Amino acid sequence: MKNFRYLVLGALVATALPFTGLVVGSQAQLGSLGRAPAEEGGPLMPPLEPGQAVQGREVYLSLGCVSCHTQQVRPAGQGRDIAAGLGGRPSVARDYVLQPVVLLGDRRIGPDLANYGSRAKSESDVLAALRKPVHAPGLRFDADGKPDARVTALAAYLRSLRQDYSSPEAPLK
Amino acid sequence: MSRIDAPLRVPFTLLFGSAALWLTLASVFSLLAKVQLLPSGLGACEWFAHGRLEAAARNAFVYGWAGNALFALNLWLLSQLGRFEIRNGWMAAIGGLFWNLALTWCTVSVIVHGPGAYALLDFPAGAGPVLAVSFALAGLWPVVAYAKRPTGHNFAAQWFVVGASVAFLLAFVLAQVTVVWAPASGVVQAVAHSWYVRSVELLWLGGSALGFGYYFVSKVLARPLHAYYLASVAFWTYFLFAGWTAPAALIGSPVPLWVQSAGVVGCVMMLVPVLLIGLNLLGALSKEGGWSRAWNSTSLRFISLGLTSILASIVLAAWSSDRAVNAALRFTSFSEGQGVLLLYAGVTMCVFGASYAALPRVSGGRWPSAAAIHTHFWASLLGAVGTVVSAFAQVGGRSPDWAFVAAGSSALLLLGHLAFASNAFATLIGGGESPQSHPAHD
Amino acid sequence: MNDRNRHSDRNRPRQGGPGPEGFSDGRLVEVHSHIARDKQEPAQGFSMTPIFVVFLFCAFGFWAGLYLTRNSRGFSASAFDLDAPVASASVGPAVFEPDAAKGEKLYLANCAACHQPTGMGLPGAFPPLANSPWVAGDEKRIIKIILVGMAGEVEIAGAKYNGNMPNVGAALKDAQIAHIATYVRSAWGNAAEPVMDVSVAEVRKALGSRGQYSPKEILEAHPLGK
Repeated sequence: MKNFRYLVLGALVATALPFTGLVVGSQAQLGSLGRAPAEEGGPLMPPLEPGQAVQGREVYLSLGCVSCHTQQVRPAGQGRDIAAGLGGRPSVARDYVLQPVVLLGDRRIGPDLANYGSRAKSESDVLAALRKPVHAPGLRFDADGKPDARVTALAAYLRSLRQDYSSPEAPLK
Repeated sequence: MSRIDAPLRVPFTLLFGSAALWLTLASVFSLLAKVQLLPSGLGACEWFAHGRLEAAARNAFVYGWAGNALFALNLWLLSQLGRFEIRNGWMAAIGGLFWNLALTWCTVSVIVHGPGAYALLDFPAGAGPVLAVSFALAGLWPVVAYAKRPTGHNFAAQWFVVGASVAFLLAFVLAQVTVVWAPASGVVQAVAHSWYVRSVELLWLGGSALGFGYYFVSKVLARPLHAYYLASVAFWTYFLFAGWTAPAALIGSPVPLWVQSAGVVGCVMMLVPVLLIGLNLLGALSKEGGWSRAWNSTSLRFISLGLTSILASIVLAAWSSDRAVNAALRFTSFSEGQGVLLLYAGVTMCVFGASYAALPRVSGGRWPSAAAIHTHFWASLLGAVGTVVSAFAQVGGRSPDWAFVAAGSSALLLLGHLAFASNAFATLIGGGESPQSHPAHD
Repeated sequence: MNDRNRHSDRNRPRQGGPGPEGFSDGRLVEVHSHIARDKQEPAQGFSMTPIFVVFLFCAFGFWAGLYLTRNSRGFSASAFDLDAPVASASVGPAVFEPDAAKGEKLYLANCAACHQPTGMGLPGAFPPLANSPWVAGDEKRIIKIILVGMAGEVEIAGAKYNGNMPNVGAALKDAQIAHIATYVRSAWGNAAEPVMDVSVAEVRKALGSRGQYSPKEILEAHPLGK
């Protein structure tokens, strides 16, 4: 420990080791992951996002929705997510390959949204949820209740959130 | 004022002054975020979206308050321990200036345009390089002070502070690259982000705070640390294991099982350094009325509280990494309480304690108001307890009553921080007028 | 500091050195360097602590290795659920998924020399598999032919072949045969169910060490559909 170099080098190596193991390691495993069909000849999943949903994600990001909503369903043995009807199967890495930023979230003040698109029956359901007072900051509706363009995009994004297809890693039962 | 303290004065005052301002600002944002969660809310203005307020509070607290305060205090501590006389202190001041300008930009951007996806990395992409360069200018002085120490003095506090400083810069740069500039694929971003957050919390903030602990426990009690020969093992195990705890925050998430399990192992392995650090520090505090003497010293009162909280929070992290426990606690307010326990009741208390000793030394003055010190201590203690208890109490489900307790605790914290900031400004600015009041000794 | 501190300072033992804050920095470092240097002989005599720390370390390391190997599913990139059935790569009851892509590779290596990569065979020599009722329908027929071969005259799509197919499958594993059969039954206009490895295993066991089938024999056991 007398030596200054050992201390600095040692601290740098100690910091970088978990990065190498965890981040570089999982990137090596998952970096080339792409869309895949659940069975031979099936459609590639996850599906491509509609353009309006891509815009809606920006709204979701800018309002900080991720601070209260998660987008991940844990396996049946790890919490009550599936029992509570948040999804039919656990989320797997492949579900997120098309997303430029992954909004897993780590706190549920509101419900999980990984499968919101398959729970919400229609666009008016989504808009009704967005009209709740807790969602008031940042969401504008005009006097007769019509949403503005950002709210419409956000609703399209929310409707696009669905993990209700079989994945090679997690078949839907 | 000693030979060592005098040239520190300008950069120290600038850095610590900004730290106190950011602390106040962070408390305001945090209070607003808590009020937004009350049934009455805060109004429909987009700027008051809970996610934005919370991100602004988090950034202001970690980078603004803790960052600036650690620039100042780490530099001061290592100058003391190595008898290092700083030259070119203007570089630290310039670094601090740009750090604060970049942070102001980040805060405005978070409130006006909104945060990004990842906590503590949720600012405009352009701010990252500015922050990294300013950190190199302002935050690496402990390394210089250690490398150039004329005495060859070597003590555990120096290792922790030097390690913390280089660890942050490396973690920040790697996280910027893998999450912001050239994002890793899909969920790997989440793994990289969790690693960055844990490195900031445990290595940079926690490591520095433990450095203060090693220094002040021995210094104020005027006794060697218990089983000090284990300190180097404690230091290396702490730094080796801390980063591996990260994916414990992803148990049950769509990341491969081995990544999650590595996190569990990391969390449990952290019990080794916790035990050794506890033996060193709490061991020394527990001998011959150490705790009551700690209570009677302003610095050590804060620091012993902070050390206990840091160690408790790491033990709690090991417990909650058990898969069955984690299944019940994940996504609840438990992690909020855990975060407050580590970063506020732990790190911030240690920083408060160190600043009560350092500010008079650097400015050559004294703390003008004993009443403000008392207000600060009790308000921040009760505020911290209130925040932690309300978070743990809502694990089973959120309730408006506890949300009120949390908002009240936030208000209490703001009060304490106002007392601290005003007192600190008076010490920093008014200090030079009465240099005789605090005798230099050593 | 505040008044209360200075009051208590007067009652503080002074063994550490001068100054109202306890140890001076120089004294603090000196005392600890001394302890660090003499760590083999702590001042209080023999100490159990270092030995205890070594044991503790071993115990934690042992547990860590055990936990990681038990809870990582062989460091697989596609394991997310600890309670899910173990994937075929690791020990335990294997889950077989017939894979036409693997089957294609195996077909090209083992069968395409005669039946051709197009599945069309060679007129007059090797019968085609494309659009053939022989490969569709009851999966046992194709499995048996792959396993033990077939010799004799057959008529397929109006053309006669007097083939002599050896027991190609004897050297292949059940799963490989299942992949090949799955591929053949799904390629070139064929559309029959995939074949599982367990079916191959069953047939292989039932056949024992018998020799080649004749076309008549196999059509009696498994008549062509449609």
